[in-house]
Amino acid sequence: MSQEPIDAASHLVVRQASKRYGATTVLDRVDLAIRRGELVTLLGPSGCGKTTLLRLIAGLALPDAGTVAIAGRDVTRVPPHRRNVGVVFQNYALFPHLSVAGNVAFGLTVRRRPKADIARAVDKALALVHLDHLAARPISALSGGQQQRVALARALAVEPDVLLFDEALSALDRKLREEMQGEMRRILRDINATAIFVTHDQDEALTMSDRVAVMNGGRIEQLAEPRLIYQRPASLFTLNFVGLSTRISGTVVACDGGIVQVDTKVGRLAATGRFLAGSQVVVATRPEHLRPAAGATGNAVSGRVRAVVFQGSRSLVEVGAGGETLLAELPGQEAALLAPDAEIRLAWPVSETFAFPAPEMAA
Amino acid sequence: MTRPLAILFAWTMALGAALFLLAPLMVIAAASFSPTPVFDLPVGGASLRWYARIGQMDGFWPALSLSLQIAALSTALALALGTLAAIAIAQGRLPGAEAIGTFLVSPLMMPGLVLGIALLQYFRAMGFSAAWSALLLAHLVVTLPYVARTMIAGLSRFDFTLVEAARTLGCTYPGAILKVMVPALAPSFLTAGLFAFLASFDNYPVSIFLTDVRTKTLPIKMLQYIEEAPDPTLAALSTLILGATVILLVASDRLVGLHRMAGTGQ
Ligand SMILES: Nc1ncnc2c1ncn2[C@@H]1O[C@H](COP(=O)(O)OP(=O)(O)OP(=O)(O)O)[C@@H](O)[C@H]1O
Ligand SMILES: [Mg+2]
Repeated sequence: MSQEPIDAASHLVVRQASKRYGATTVLDRVDLAIRRGELVTLLGPSGCGKTTLLRLIAGLALPDAGTVAIAGRDVTRVPPHRRNVGVVFQNYALFPHLSVAGNVAFGLTVRRRPKADIARAVDKALALVHLDHLAARPISALSGGQQQRVALARALAVEPDVLLFDEALSALDRKLREEMQGEMRRILRDINATAIFVTHDQDEALTMSDRVAVMNGGRIEQLAEPRLIYQRPASLFTLNFVGLSTRISGTVVACDGGIVQVDTKVGRLAATGRFLAGSQVVVATRPEHLRPAAGATGNAVSGRVRAVVFQGSRSLVEVGAGGETLLAELPGQEAALLAPDAEIRLAWPVSETFAFPAPEMAA
Repeated sequence: MTRPLAILFAWTMALGAALFLLAPLMVIAAASFSPTPVFDLPVGGASLRWYARIGQMDGFWPALSLSLQIAALSTALALALGTLAAIAIAQGRLPGAEAIGTFLVSPLMMPGLVLGIALLQYFRAMGFSAAWSALLLAHLVVTLPYVARTMIAGLSRFDFTLVEAARTLGCTYPGAILKVMVPALAPSFLTAGLFAFLASFDNYPVSIFLTDVRTKTLPIKMLQYIEEAPDPTLAALSTLILGATVILLVASDRLVGLHRMAGTGQ
């Protein structure tokens, strides 16, 4: 599903990369093409191969098959120190024996730049992450957020072609994380860096990135803009992994012009999709499309309110109908009127209803 | 108990313990300035005459030189061997690594006397009679556990992603080891060396079995001396050794920080 055309303008191109450890295939023919200055997040469950993919790009691991190219140069066999790829590690990996400035200067010192140049570059990188006042501090005297910014400054100072972040924000508390998301976005825009951001936090992926790559079991399931990932998930996995949804399984009875009619336990529903009659499918929609309605067009299901979850300005209403569960997101006042166990009829447009092949039954 | 009282209590106990530990040292230091030839506090005026006599002690210089040689050499050997062993153990790919680690450290838990007698028997049985080499080997057995223990602890806390970070920043693999792993382990190295050196330098129970008339280490010489002529010269010598140790510790602290050496800091 990730068969994007790989255009020549792409800055970082991973082509058909595979990696196995012993008997387990960790990456399975992964394709990824990223434009210069673009921020792509890799989103996926634990163990799906996100870190491994980053390590291939950084040169810290070799692919068994496939290639990695940066700025048109094949770097598959190039060792990490000659790739110019910056990495911000999950645990920051700051050098404990060096000060903040020492850490940031490290890459430039290794490159034997003149002292004055190094000092200037360090000042610039530290200013970018708002840490100029802490240059002389030892690493052990920094907070988590400050360490994270030092790690970023250290990676930025060498002006890498590509920046990789492995769950760089996951150790921070929620408030700091949100602040840092904004900061990072600003900094990456300023320097027009091509960046990959690994996370398993879907909010982080949706708010920060130009495009999101949803990974599952060593494959990229979908690579698209955040809005599309949410509104037009390409697979049941993406639908499940990103955001909430109502999912009802059933059997296709008719297909006409990209609209299928599906028989389910809660009645007949229409959905966009192309399937042969008789196919087992899952019909799905997002909670914000469901509205209380008397006799609306489109899909409609009657049921009983099971729970109302208050979420500030909006509430999430769980409705039980014929053994299935419907999730509706309603404005606070509307939801406040709903008593538990009350009868409710929910309707939603066919254009926001999608059919996916039903997952194969586990043998 | 209320909070201020508890704090007061804690401080009193801490100060009391520190005083209890330091009092003998302070008494020795004070006695070394005594003007009279008995161990006495210098009430009627201080004198440095016992310091002047240290060098004239019978057999002092050879004993000092022997102790320094053995301590320096056994420490250097233990650092090399212990570090290599620790690397093998800490990487965890060695079968039975943990058992080997425990075995290396085990002499620490053995009474020195037992170790001394065992080594004496062993060397005799082998027909090995050169006192100097026997001492060196025995002290290697004494110092190796200190090095192995400290280096295994240091290495197991070492984060190997630091090496990867250095590589992505432009270091070759050997360069990354040299620039990141070696400095990160420097505190462990220094601690190990310091403890090993001190353990060897003041070892008495193991050395006593392996010395002969001409080969005597400083602690043995000092004990012999106190039996023959107990005067404050020994107090003066002890004070000098104490001073040297303090200087060594302060210098190490300046270099890497004692909190990092003790492994209590971040
Ligand atoms: N060096 C290795 N040897 C053996 N298996 C490995 C190695 N590195 C990774 N794996 C396996 O590869 C799979 C993917 O690992 P990876 O670290 O890429 O996952 P991830 O997506 O980053 O997960 P997480 O979100 O938990 O960090 C895991 O099942 C892991 O056990
Ligand atoms: Mg990972």
